[in-house]
Amino acid sequence: MKTVCYLAHCLLNANAKVDEGARAPGVSAPVVSLLRERGCTLRQMPCPELAFGGTRRFWAVREQYDTPVYREHCRKLAAPVAEQIRADLAAGDRVIVVGIDGSPSMGVELTASSDEWGGRPDKPRDEDYPVTPGRGLFIETLVGLLDPEPRVRVVGIGQDLFDYDERRELAKLGRLVSGDGGADAG
Amino acid sequence: MQGDVRSRRIAVVADAVLNPPSGGGDELAALERDGWGVMALWPPGLAGEALDGWREAVVDQVVTFLDDDYEVALVATGDPELEQFRSALAVRGRAVSRELPAPER
Repeated sequence: MKTVCYLAHCLLNANAKVDEGARAPGVSAPVVSLLRERGCTLRQMPCPELAFGGTRRFWAVREQYDTPVYREHCRKLAAPVAEQIRADLAAGDRVIVVGIDGSPSMGVELTASSDEWGGRPDKPRDEDYPVTPGRGLFIETLVGLLDPEPRVRVVGIGQDLFDYDERRELAKLGRLVSGDGGADAG
Repeated sequence: MQGDVRSRRIAVVADAVLNPPSGGGDELAALERDGWGVMALWPPGLAGEALDGWREAVVDQVVTFLDDDYEVALVATGDPELEQFRSALAVRGRAVSRELPAPER
């Protein structure tokens, strides 16, 4: 059985990240290499924040993006991805969605949320970035479009967390590819 | 955080670069070594509204990078999706002129 991995855009293109948010110049080689070594087929999801807020956007929390227009933007981007995922499932493939924990849009288990953030961007991201349990807006939308679909596994790589531990995250991803762990999309 | 390490270079690639046939060249690894970010086109066989939506999303992102003076190049593998991408970008009044050599297949 083939495993198809839908990657958050920035895992292949860190240029989509906010200023100082990238952990690689371009491709996150350890993540991509692990998946390719395991024989996974890779697909790249769009970055919902890039085309919406541009390359010079500040880091933000979920509440700052959570508007009807941004949710519609996410739905528009997620719809073709969901259709391709359904096609992969119909072909008998396993599907794994790889998001970015800590992201207001791509978070799977952890997002960034605060009722206090807004206005003048005077908060250094690495001092008080308000990581909280929950999904980002795009992942929430994509999972909603797939619901109920327990055959799709969803996992977050914690690249937007201040205490990002690459070994830990790769081990988590490796376990999921091996058939252990992750949340289902149902 | 670790400062801004973004390369500001993006290579637009066909699906075959992400998922090369066995025995084919590994252009993705070469792009990674050279610091390129990768923007993959839609999977072959996508059609209808899904194709329209996926293609529009890719073009929107590339236009965003071009308008902010990021370097954008195409990996010239000859896949039909690349020509579809060029045409869709042209409709938006943009073009990507730089081509990177395709890997051997």
